[in-house]
Amino acid sequence: MKMLSTPSNAATTLIDKRSVVGTIIVAAAFALVIAAPAFLSTYLVEIGFKLMLYIVLAEAWNLLAGYGGLVSLGTSSFFGLGAYVSVGLLNYLGAGLPLALCASALAGMTLALVMSRGLFRLRGLHFTVGTLALAEALRLFVVNVPWFGGATGLFVTLDLPDTPELFRVAALLLALTTAIISVATTSRFSVLLRAIRDDEDAASQVGVRAFRTKLAAFMVASGLVAAAGGLQAAKLGAIEPYGSFGLQWSVDALAIVIIGGLGMRRGAVVGGLFFVAIGELLADYPELHVALTGVILILLIRFAPQGLCGLAEALLARRAAERRLLTEGKS
Amino acid sequence: MSSYAPSPLLLEAAGLGKRYGGVVANDGIDIHLDKGHVLGVIGPNGAGKSTLIGLLGGAIRPSAGTIRFQGEDITGLPASERARRGIGRTYQIPRPFLDMTVADNLAVGQFAVAPLDSAAAAERERRQILERCDLADVADVKAKDLPLLRRKRLEVARALALKPKLLLLDEVGAGLIDSEVSDLIALIRSLQDGQRAIIIIEHMIRIVKECCEDLLVINFGKVLTRGRTAEVLASDEVSAVYLGTSHGGAAKPPRAAAPEPAAAASSATKPLLVLDAVSAGYGQARVINDLSLSAAPGQVVGVLGPNGAGKTTLAHVISRALPVTAGRIRFDGEDITDLPAYAVAARGIAHCMEGRHIFASLSVEENLLVAARQVDAAERRLRLGRVFALFPVLAERRKAGGTSMSGGQQQALAIGRALMAKPRLAIFDEISLGLAPVMMDRLYEALAALKREGLTMLVVEQDVERALDLADAAYIINKGRITLSGPAAVVRHDERLRHLYFGTEE
Repeated sequence: MKMLSTPSNAATTLIDKRSVVGTIIVAAAFALVIAAPAFLSTYLVEIGFKLMLYIVLAEAWNLLAGYGGLVSLGTSSFFGLGAYVSVGLLNYLGAGLPLALCASALAGMTLALVMSRGLFRLRGLHFTVGTLALAEALRLFVVNVPWFGGATGLFVTLDLPDTPELFRVAALLLALTTAIISVATTSRFSVLLRAIRDDEDAASQVGVRAFRTKLAAFMVASGLVAAAGGLQAAKLGAIEPYGSFGLQWSVDALAIVIIGGLGMRRGAVVGGLFFVAIGELLADYPELHVALTGVILILLIRFAPQGLCGLAEALLARRAAERRLLTEGKS
Repeated sequence: MSSYAPSPLLLEAAGLGKRYGGVVANDGIDIHLDKGHVLGVIGPNGAGKSTLIGLLGGAIRPSAGTIRFQGEDITGLPASERARRGIGRTYQIPRPFLDMTVADNLAVGQFAVAPLDSAAAAERERRQILERCDLADVADVKAKDLPLLRRKRLEVARALALKPKLLLLDEVGAGLIDSEVSDLIALIRSLQDGQRAIIIIEHMIRIVKECCEDLLVINFGKVLTRGRTAEVLASDEVSAVYLGTSHGGAAKPPRAAAPEPAAAASSATKPLLVLDAVSAGYGQARVINDLSLSAAPGQVVGVLGPNGAGKTTLAHVISRALPVTAGRIRFDGEDITDLPAYAVAARGIAHCMEGRHIFASLSVEENLLVAARQVDAAERRLRLGRVFALFPVLAERRKAGGTSMSGGQQQALAIGRALMAKPRLAIFDEISLGLAPVMMDRLYEALAALKREGLTMLVVEQDVERALDLADAAYIINKGRITLSGPAAVVRHDERLRHLYFGTEE
C-alpha cells in the first residue's frame, strides 16, 4: 500500500504506466516462448516443458499456502484426477487436447467444491492431513475400481501432439496461470485471503466470508493443477495411479515454493528454476539429488525462511539502508 | 417499507446467556440501545464482559436469548454477517493480521463489506481513520512490528473501517497515560454523531465517566445493576465489587506516604543491578540510549514514562531477551551483558512480561510449575502454596487452561509464574494493564507484601500514583533517555513529571 503516502492521482498514473510496460514485456516474452521450440534443442524443449509444468503447480500451491494459509498435501489428487479425465476424454470421446484440458480443469474445480465442506472444517495441520488423505483415497479408488485399468493404468490410444506442440500448450497454461494468480494475489481478493491466513476469526469479525473466499482460492488452484495433470498425461502417453496420484507431485510443489519464497509473488518461478536446474545438474546422481534438495530445504528454512526471494529482498533492503546512511553522512 | 412504523431500536438483546459446560459466563442479560447512545459495561475481571462482546459480535453462539439488530433477528448469524450489517468489535488482546501492513489491515473490512467502492475513496477513508487513531506514520509497517499499545489502536481503526453502526470497544484504554486517554475520549466523542451506538468495556474509570451516559454493571455473568453513570459509580454495591479503594466516587482519599526506603540502603550496600550506559533497539531503530540505572537489594524501582519511551525495551534488555548495542549490565557484581536469557533467569531475574504471555496449552498449575523446574518437590509445593495464597483464584482454577481465564486472572497467573522462580530481582511490566480497579488494589497489595519480604523489584507502570506509592526510587524515561530520577517522594512533586504525563511537554 505505497499508494497511501502519495497523492492518489499520481499513484494511479504511475501504476498505469508501469502496468502497460509490464504487459508489453510479458507479451514479448510469451511470444518468444511460443517460438522457442523452433530454435531450441530437443533437450531444452523437454526441460522447458517440465519447468513450466512445475511452475504451474507451484503457483497454485503458493496461492493456497502462501496467501491463504491452506497448506495442502493434496496437489497430487487434483493432478491425478486431471490426468485420468484428460486420458478418458482423449480415448473415448476423441476430444482434442485443449478440450480435454479444459474438462480436466473443470473436474478439478468440481472436486474442490465437493470436498470443501469437509476439508474447510479442518484448520491448520488438520487441513493438511485431510488433503493428504484425499490423495491417498483417490489413488486407492483408481487402483481398485475396474474402470481405470487398475494398477497398470491407461494408455492414450490416439496420436498425441509432439513435444514442441506440448511445449506451446504448456506455455499457454503457464500464461493463463500467471494471469490468474497475478490477479488473485494483488487484487482486493488477496487482501481478504491474507486476512484469513493471518487470523480467520478476526477476519470474520470484519465481515470476511471466510468459507467463500477460501473456496474460491481452492477451486482456482485445483483447476490449474488438474489441467497440468492432463498435460503431463498427454506428454507421457500412459498413466498409472502410483505416478499420477504420487505424493511426489505434492511434495515437489511444496519444495519449490519453500525454496523460492512462501507467499512471495515470484516465489514459484524462482523456486521452479532453481529446482529444475538442480534436478538436471544432478540427473546422473539421483540419490545425491534427493539428499541435496533436502539439505537446501533445511538451510533455507533455517537461514532464509522467506526463501530465495525473501533473501534477495532482505539484501536489497540492507543495501538501500546502507546507501541512505551514506548519503546522510555526506549531507 | 412503511414510513409510519416506528423505527426499531438499533440493538435489542433479551435474556442473553452463555454456558460452558457447567460454567455460566453470561446469564439473562438484557440490553436496549438506540443510535446516538453510549453504554458502558463495567465489572470485576472474570465477570463475563468479554463474553458479552463475543455474543453481540457473533464470535460466540449464545445458549439462550435473542439479539435483534435494527429490527432483524441476528441471533443465528455468524460474525461475518453481523459485521456486514454494521457491528464492529475490537479484541481485548489485539488480534491484528500480523503479516499485513497497517493500511491493509483496514482494507480487509472495507473490501469485504464494499468490494466495489472506488480505490481512491477507500484509500482516503483509510488515511482519515489512521490519522484519527494516530497510526498514520505506520501505515506501511507490518502489524507484527507494532508494540502492544499501537496494536490496540489498530483494533479500533480496523473496527472503524467497517463504518459500524454499533461499535463494541473491549478495553481499548488500558495502558494509556492521561494525555493519551484524553485523545481516546475525544475520538470516542467524535464518533457520537447520532448515527451509531457504542458499547464500551473499560476499567479506565475516566473514560467511563466522560463517555458513557449509562452503565451496566456485570458480576458473575449477571446484571448487578444499571443506570445513569454517575449514580452507578456512586453506589456502595459497585464500590464493593468493583471500584475498591482507589476511586471512591469523585475525590481520591489521601493515601499514606510511601514507606521511607531502608535508610540509605542505596549508598551503603552494593547495588544488585547496575546498567551502565546501555543502548539497545530493534533493527535500525534505537529505542534506548546511553541509559544508566541501579537498584539496591530490597529496593523497589519504578520506571515511568509515556508509551513508546522505551520502558518495555528496558525490561527486555535487563532480562537479556534483547541484545544491547552498547554498555554493560551487572547483576550482583557479575557482568551478565553477554549471557543468554535462560542463564540470567537462573541467576535470579524473573521477568513478568507485558501482555502476560501465558502458555495457552498448559493449565494454570503447569504454567506456574514451568518456572520452578529445578527445585525439589517440597520446595515446589511451598512456592505453589505461596502463590495460591497470594491469588486464591488461581487455586480455584488450577486445572483450567492458562488462557481460558479472564484478563485479570491471567495477569495474576503471569505474576505468580514470575514468583515461582523465587527471583532475587523481579521485573513487572505493566501488570495493571486491563485490570479492574479492585483487582489492581489486590495486585499492588501483593507487591507491597513482596516488598516487605525484601524482594528487589523493577516496576514498569502507567499508573504513576500507584507506582510512586510503592517505589523507593523512580526513573522517568522519555524517548529512550532518563529525563528524571530520584527518590519516589521527590519525583512525585517534580514539575517535569506532570509535563510529561499530562501532555504539556516542553
